[in-house]
Amino acid sequence: MKGFFHSLRRLSSKGIFALLPNVPYSPKEPSRCGGMAIRANGLSARARAGGAWVFADATFEIPCGCRTALVGPNGSGKSTLLRVLAGLLPLGEGSAEIGGETPRLGRSRVAYLSQRPHLTEHFPLPLRRLVQMGTYAHHGWFEECHHGDQAVDLALARLGLTELADRPVHSLSGGQLQRGLIARAVVQGAEILLLDEPFAALDQGSREIIERFLAEQGPALTVVMATHDPAELAPFDRILEMRDGTIRTRHACTGHTHRHA
Amino acid sequence: MLELLTQPLGEAFFQRALVAVALGGVMCACLGAYVVLRRMAFVSTALTHSILPGIVGALMLGFSPYLGALAAALLTAAGAAWLAARKGTSEDSAIGVMLSVMFALGIVLMQQANSWRDFTGLLFGSILSVSSTDLTVIGLTAAGVLFGLRSLHKELELAAFDEEYAQLLGARPALMRGILLVLVAFGAVACVRLVGALLTTALFVIPAATGVLLGRTVPQVMAWATGCAFLGGVGGLYLSYYAKAMPSGAGIVLCCSVPYFIARLSQRPN
Repeated sequence: MKGFFHSLRRLSSKGIFALLPNVPYSPKEPSRCGGMAIRANGLSARARAGGAWVFADATFEIPCGCRTALVGPNGSGKSTLLRVLAGLLPLGEGSAEIGGETPRLGRSRVAYLSQRPHLTEHFPLPLRRLVQMGTYAHHGWFEECHHGDQAVDLALARLGLTELADRPVHSLSGGQLQRGLIARAVVQGAEILLLDEPFAALDQGSREIIERFLAEQGPALTVVMATHDPAELAPFDRILEMRDGTIRTRHACTGHTHRHA
Repeated sequence: MLELLTQPLGEAFFQRALVAVALGGVMCACLGAYVVLRRMAFVSTALTHSILPGIVGALMLGFSPYLGALAAALLTAAGAAWLAARKGTSEDSAIGVMLSVMFALGIVLMQQANSWRDFTGLLFGSILSVSSTDLTVIGLTAAGVLFGLRSLHKELELAAFDEEYAQLLGARPALMRGILLVLVAFGAVACVRLVGALLTTALFVIPAATGVLLGRTVPQVMAWATGCAFLGGVGGLYLSYYAKAMPSGAGIVLCCSVPYFIARLSQRPN
């Protein structure tokens, strides 16, 4: 019975997808490891259209491969800055560049994890399928998910999720889900990872796995992580401090240097 | 005993009803999976109820009731989206406004036209009098809707599960939502003959709600929902064939709800 459904599905997808053109979600992005990952010049932004400026006149640079902590009290604009860089919020004034382009949606090389991911509750989705969603960046409209299985397996293994691959997403713990979301960003091919308080309410085990994973990536991955926990700052090369609507660089790394946790 | 099952099959009207309920059931069950998973049951109710003024208006003006129904359903979807985009009106109140306005309009129009037409079939369904034109409409709509669902499966699934990630990838979640609403409008219009404008929403919600209890992936949910819709549809037809007092539309809906309650009660209550 199962075999019958499987072959029916394969047959139907072959027939249907042969008829349709394959259109990528957005133009393919080349790998751009090297130089400046993020650059902001006099950047101002609002958290919502018509709202007050959350920060103003921010100028900073983050080289490729650098691990940057974004610190500051609640409401200082850390999330807003990350959302602007991810393309989810419009640039206010000034200019910004991420991975060589003005921030926009549809970037396979930029991944963003929000503080509280708004996932539909009780959605029937196994963890493997969640991670597979990262490969959609390399597929496009009207295409069945047919490549990237190896990358999915590898990402699951490296984040210690192989055994959980068939579990429904809604049955996972917060830490397991967070690891799954990072695995998805890796499968997507992200070179710049924007993380908004990824360790908030995470168990020690998941946190260690994520930290080890990020450390293993070396200069291939530029990480910008919002945090307000001073104890988390040890493994970072660079600290950007947001306070009273301004941004200051406190520690700067020169380029591809790396200190591990 | 077996004769009880085979005897109605010899009658042409019953054969047509069976094909209609099978096609409509599959289409509504698959669409319903997204309706239920995205918590859009209310908007599907609004779309199915708003068909009423569309059909009555089209009959009064003398063009195809299907076109009138489709126009009314799309108008409702667009109206609700337009109202919800304004400040101070939440989405569910926008849908509530459109639902009541359209339905009231339908009642007014029915009152105007009542002298020359009986609308109970429209309100409660008349599957046993399905014509071959109706069958063609249901068949073509089902084919189109299933084609749409299959070809955009991964985008619809992604947009329903994680809207923000869909946006980040450039997979246009707002567009996906719009496409889903249009498909629901088409499905509702094609199925109005089956169970009537008042109960079409049941075909979207009940089988899919059963599927959500039993399936572990979206295709599994659709498969279970299809099975339930099919069983419920066929069961309802036989029921209304033998129990003359049982209206066919209500019979189908009641039969669809049996698997739901069985699945619900057999699951651990957590």
